[in-house]
Amino acid sequence: MTIDLLRRKFLFDSAWGFGSLALLDLLNAEDRSVASQGNVQVATSGILHHPPKAKRVVQLFMAGAASHIDLFDYKPALEKHHGEPSDFGEKVEAFQNGLGPWMKSPFQFKPYGASGKMLSEAVADLGSCVDEMAFIHNMTGKTGVHSQATYLQATGFQRPGFPGVGSWVSYALGSENENLPAFVVLPDHRGFASNGPKNWGSAFLPTSSQGTTIFPQRERPIRDLFPKSDLVTPSSQAQGLKLLDKLNRDFATTREGDERLESRLRTYELAAKMQLSAPEALDLSTEPKHIMKMYGLDRAGAEYPESINVPEEIEYFGRKCLIARRLLERGVRFIQIWSGNDNSFPRRNWDSHEDLKREHGPLARGMARGASALIQDLKQRGLLDDTIVLWTTEFGRMPSTQGSTGRDHNPHVFTNWLCGGGIRGGISHGESDQWGFKPLDRDNPTQVYDVHATLLHLLGLNHLKLTVRHNGIDRRLTDVHGHVIREII
Amino acid sequence: MMARLRFQILITTVVLGSCGLANSYGLEDDAFLDRVVPIFQARCLECHRKGLTKGDFSLQDASSFFQDGYVERGDSSGSHLVELISSQDNHRAEMPKNGSPLTGDQIEAIRSWIDLGANWPEGYELTYDAQVAPPLDYDWWSFQEVVKPAVPDLVDSPNRHWIRTPVDAFVLEALERKNLAPSKEANRRTLIRRLSYDLTGLPPTIEQIEAFEADLSEDAYDRLVERLLASPRYGERWARHWLDVVKYADTCGYDKDKLRPNAWPYRDYVIRSFNDDKPYRRFVQEQIAGDALFPGTEDGILGLGFIAAGPWDFIGHVEVPESKLDGRVARNLDRDDMVSNTFNSFCSLTVQCARCHDHKFDPITQEHYYKLQAIFAAVDRADRVYAVDPKVELQRSALKNQILKAEESLEKLNERLNRSGGQALVKLRKRVAAVDRGSKKPEFGYHSKIASRQDTLKWVEIELDQPQSVKQIVLHAAHDEFNNIGAGFGFPLRFRVEINGSTQFDRANADFPNPQLTPIVIPVSGPLKSVRLVATKLAKRSSDFHLALAEIELLNSHGENVAATGKVTALDSIEAPVRWGKANLVDGIWYEPSGETRKELQSELDAMVLRLIGKSGVDQKSSFKNQIAESRKALSQLPKGKEVYAAATEFKSQGNFKATQGQPRPVYFLPRGEVSSPGPMLKPGIIPLSAEQMPDLEIQAGESESVARSKLALWLTDERNPLLWRSVVNRVWHYHFGRGIVDTPNDFGRMGGERSHPELLDWLAATFRDGGDSVSAESFKDLHRLIVTSSVYRQSSNYAGKGMTADSGNRYLWRMNRRRLSAEEIRDSILHASGLLNLEMGGTGYFLFQLEKTEHSPHYEYHKFDHTDPKSYRRSIYRFIVRSQPDPFMTTLDCADSSQSTPARNETQTPLQSLTMLNSDFSLEMSKRFAERIELESEDRSVRIRKVVQQSLGRYPTELELSMMEDFVQQHGLVNLIRVVFNLTEFVFID
Repeated sequence: MTIDLLRRKFLFDSAWGFGSLALLDLLNAEDRSVASQGNVQVATSGILHHPPKAKRVVQLFMAGAASHIDLFDYKPALEKHHGEPSDFGEKVEAFQNGLGPWMKSPFQFKPYGASGKMLSEAVADLGSCVDEMAFIHNMTGKTGVHSQATYLQATGFQRPGFPGVGSWVSYALGSENENLPAFVVLPDHRGFASNGPKNWGSAFLPTSSQGTTIFPQRERPIRDLFPKSDLVTPSSQAQGLKLLDKLNRDFATTREGDERLESRLRTYELAAKMQLSAPEALDLSTEPKHIMKMYGLDRAGAEYPESINVPEEIEYFGRKCLIARRLLERGVRFIQIWSGNDNSFPRRNWDSHEDLKREHGPLARGMARGASALIQDLKQRGLLDDTIVLWTTEFGRMPSTQGSTGRDHNPHVFTNWLCGGGIRGGISHGESDQWGFKPLDRDNPTQVYDVHATLLHLLGLNHLKLTVRHNGIDRRLTDVHGHVIREII
Repeated sequence: MMARLRFQILITTVVLGSCGLANSYGLEDDAFLDRVVPIFQARCLECHRKGLTKGDFSLQDASSFFQDGYVERGDSSGSHLVELISSQDNHRAEMPKNGSPLTGDQIEAIRSWIDLGANWPEGYELTYDAQVAPPLDYDWWSFQEVVKPAVPDLVDSPNRHWIRTPVDAFVLEALERKNLAPSKEANRRTLIRRLSYDLTGLPPTIEQIEAFEADLSEDAYDRLVERLLASPRYGERWARHWLDVVKYADTCGYDKDKLRPNAWPYRDYVIRSFNDDKPYRRFVQEQIAGDALFPGTEDGILGLGFIAAGPWDFIGHVEVPESKLDGRVARNLDRDDMVSNTFNSFCSLTVQCARCHDHKFDPITQEHYYKLQAIFAAVDRADRVYAVDPKVELQRSALKNQILKAEESLEKLNERLNRSGGQALVKLRKRVAAVDRGSKKPEFGYHSKIASRQDTLKWVEIELDQPQSVKQIVLHAAHDEFNNIGAGFGFPLRFRVEINGSTQFDRANADFPNPQLTPIVIPVSGPLKSVRLVATKLAKRSSDFHLALAEIELLNSHGENVAATGKVTALDSIEAPVRWGKANLVDGIWYEPSGETRKELQSELDAMVLRLIGKSGVDQKSSFKNQIAESRKALSQLPKGKEVYAAATEFKSQGNFKATQGQPRPVYFLPRGEVSSPGPMLKPGIIPLSAEQMPDLEIQAGESESVARSKLALWLTDERNPLLWRSVVNRVWHYHFGRGIVDTPNDFGRMGGERSHPELLDWLAATFRDGGDSVSAESFKDLHRLIVTSSVYRQSSNYAGKGMTADSGNRYLWRMNRRRLSAEEIRDSILHASGLLNLEMGGTGYFLFQLEKTEHSPHYEYHKFDHTDPKSYRRSIYRFIVRSQPDPFMTTLDCADSSQSTPARNETQTPLQSLTMLNSDFSLEMSKRFAERIELESEDRSVRIRKVVQQSLGRYPTELELSMMEDFVQQHGLVNLIRVVFNLTEFVFID
């Protein structure tokens, strides 16, 4: 790295906001002759290679592996051959032992929208959005192990140590609002999925690009936004910041030329601004009744039974979706919403080895209600045009039976869908075979790299050029893979 | 010929009038085929051709060539491809990665072809001849021998008096070449603060600062350095650097992120190694093969914690067997972590790039890489005994004594019983034993899934590896009290038995009477490969139907049962261990009751014993038995010794995670890194560092697996391995100055950074390796002393003079680098200032979270932690590090991420940092405790404020500061002032 690039790296490390001074700002702000020096030159020039269609992203992540064939990928063959011994025409290694007879979905399917897309009753609420959505039914993964597969979908690599997709986007584009983080994560309220916060870590990118977690139900939804102690009062806070600023300014004055010391002053100003902005963004009390109802949040104070149930799932997922909309409106770049926690018992995720209907039913209904409300709400506010909604999961589930009512892992094929932000609506791209076991065209499946490349493309970024050199390798989100899926944009 | 043919096709197109640029198209076509194609074929297709790396860029046909936007037709300047092949600002062109760059003529040929529209004749595909692989290119600085250069002679320099050590001479020479001059020496306060943090990670006390300022003797600085290097705090500070590089953590990471309760002895080993100034060779050797090279030493085992330090996939190892693809992928990635940890840490070589293809920049082939994996093929990460614990050993011998005594007493009692019981007792015991043999065992047999219809077809089959001569098939029906069915449970009403696929025994046409527990014998002639029982009419269970069978015996002519050598498959199976499972069909267990009942016999026996030894005898007997059982249980629960999580070949199995017992797993060459299509099996080997060196390690058949690791350790630490010595001195330099001579400490390859002071790097490497200039060979402490006593190190960090413009990044060290404290230093400094820092060393890591739900996926609840817990007041290196859920306070302050090797910390300034420093429970609790302590010491407000400033910043407040602070404290109390002080730039930066 040359000297000037070191300075540029410093500027980025000292980025004012939560990545608000992003790579592109630096490139635009600085003299081109500087920007084109050194061996990170390829990594930076020409990243923004065309005008973006989309400005922000919401990723909905179904932890545990949501079944494609019970939600979005209708398989009449399973209805016809239900209960017959499954025959895949090849040797199959199941993750556990789920190679029992073919099993039809416990949910009924019917067509929706002008496109006539077949959806399961469990996601019927999304019926009103299908004409906005593009389904990819030939997604394929690399492993049936949750942790590795979750890493793959969340970071583009099968193992720990790589930045989340939201980190890459924040790193490249920064935030539209310097008072809020560029990348926000809303985990499942019951706990983290496989790999926990490593799914949204910044790894080798600057810390400012990591996902900031918000737990709306906690006493302090954002860690350390406010002191828990009553030792600090609004006035001691204000006066304290003033004193701090004065002393830090004096210190910086005697050490001229060190821009880090100046930028430190600014981080305290922004911290104070965020204390104002964030609570306002999370405050749903100003939302009108019909909006609360739309997201399924019209049952204030409701109590729920111990067992997994639909109203509770609707409330928790809906709340995250509504908060997401408010954050998007306020310029947050990337939001990740998780459904499902780790594999503890009782099961509260999509890993339905035992009883598919028991968990998929409530989780899917909760997800569909919130996701559908979010899409329609973004649309009515004109935000859907430049906001991408991406629905994903770590892999799919087998068309055969595990036990008598469960399904085993299927890393060979699963479904993603996208909508908004330049995505062509009302289409299904790629097909799985008649059982939903593998892609129909096995030589040309869609991979996570392709979805990520498409995402970056819509954001105006060339996935081949967004690289960062780390330990001797020019790393990119899409590794050495990835093609923009032209058919869905 | 080809060119001619294509030309004619194009003429046809022109005739059709498709384009107005007819002539140029035609000419351009010739240019493409004659000039561009040969370049692509010779220089690009080796890596960029179809099917080589899936999804990668291919130059073989037009559609793949144009699809990713590398080329803008008609605009070579706007084409990314041209950028890639051209050198930029004196930097080597990105492409081609192997060998020399393209010549100017070659680039021009490609440019003009693009400018003329980049025409690619329709359907034309480039051919690729897989030529002999080009020779590996060792012409790169890091692979060259380390030869100690002469120290520059600067007698004529105006700054010659500035030179204190040879280090200064090298740095000054480079500065003067750039027409720069060094900065003046920093003041004493700055120097002691800088040195204290650098060598120990802690600030000096105000007393230490004042003493040093007052000490005008010539060796004051040197004595300060000696004091700090001798402090146990030194090892704690420098061990943290090493743990960053090797990815140390106290949990496994991945899914579940399980605890590693015995990781810490490795952490303590690293601290102790630094404090003892362990010679570097020994330090490296212990970490790769200490068990073999230094048998019988604790450090020989503890060092192996290095191999196990990185993440580990619980599910991929424990839940998935090696027989499945996912299991093999997990083990491949696990060895990859061991290989890359070794080579990144010790050699600064990115060998992991060669997992899927030959290294694109450095002379490392994929074959070399998998030979390295073969070195680690027998080890896993597990707890391993490194020493016995005297306390535990005392307990162990006490328990053994208790057992011995109880056994002796029991024996005596039994002798008395046997003597008085005589033959009658012997006979009764024999009858009991006979019943026990026939009693029911819990392994019932095979059980299909439940069916709702009786005519559902079910089958179960035994398949032998090889056809064998079998004379009889014996079917044993099962026994289960479910629904009061008992004998013959699940036996089908109609069925057939197929041998080698054809029906031999057909009972499918009429209901077969339930055999109860009578075996059904089917004679067989000829060799048997498989036998399948197909049920066509199932047994009724309750309101549903199923197939169950206790055992199938396959008896050969000697009457031996060979069924257990076969594999059992079934249409379906409930697999409900222990009772039901496919494996139970061939386990040699089925129910065959004897005539007598156990209960009656037992009471007969008990009565006889009571008669013979009386009530007191019976009570004694059971008490001895209890004592023995309890002591045995306690003994089995005692740890075998002190354990460390390390590389191991023997450990207790956990699900599918089984020890190799020293038997290496086969390691194959994996084209494209795909586990599913392995190439040839490879033997252990190393990376050749020159064209002459051979990769293979000489290992004799039957030698211990540790031989390969020993040979690797010796090869790594050979004085002729230039990478090892350069790598380590560069790391040390990096930590002292904030930036290495090579600023990519983990990569000395062609993609790594450039050297700022090449001669100095080699001089340091040679001096560290061989000793000299008052440095003992391989002594870290001597190397530190050499560096920190230099004038370069003692410079002021202020920005002044020519360097500000000529070298704004301070690559040539015309000043010292100011730095922000690391996360650990900040946390330790806050504890230190608050007066709460507990300097107790070593042992289990303390939690900074509440631990919940450990039985499955542990939850690490940081927000629920109580920061008044004094256990957490120890130095930050002793905290329990969670890999997947790292501490948010530390992470915000750029702490290392233990999922990856961190050779250099980031240093960022963010609002989240400010919020954390202002509002975290830790900051506030410390502010409170600090204030409480000071308030007890003095009543006077200004005295209190002075004390706070002295103890946190190591200086006195100015009058102006004092007056501002007094006003503030009057209104908001001392605790709020301390909260502000912890956030001062002065508190978290050192000049």
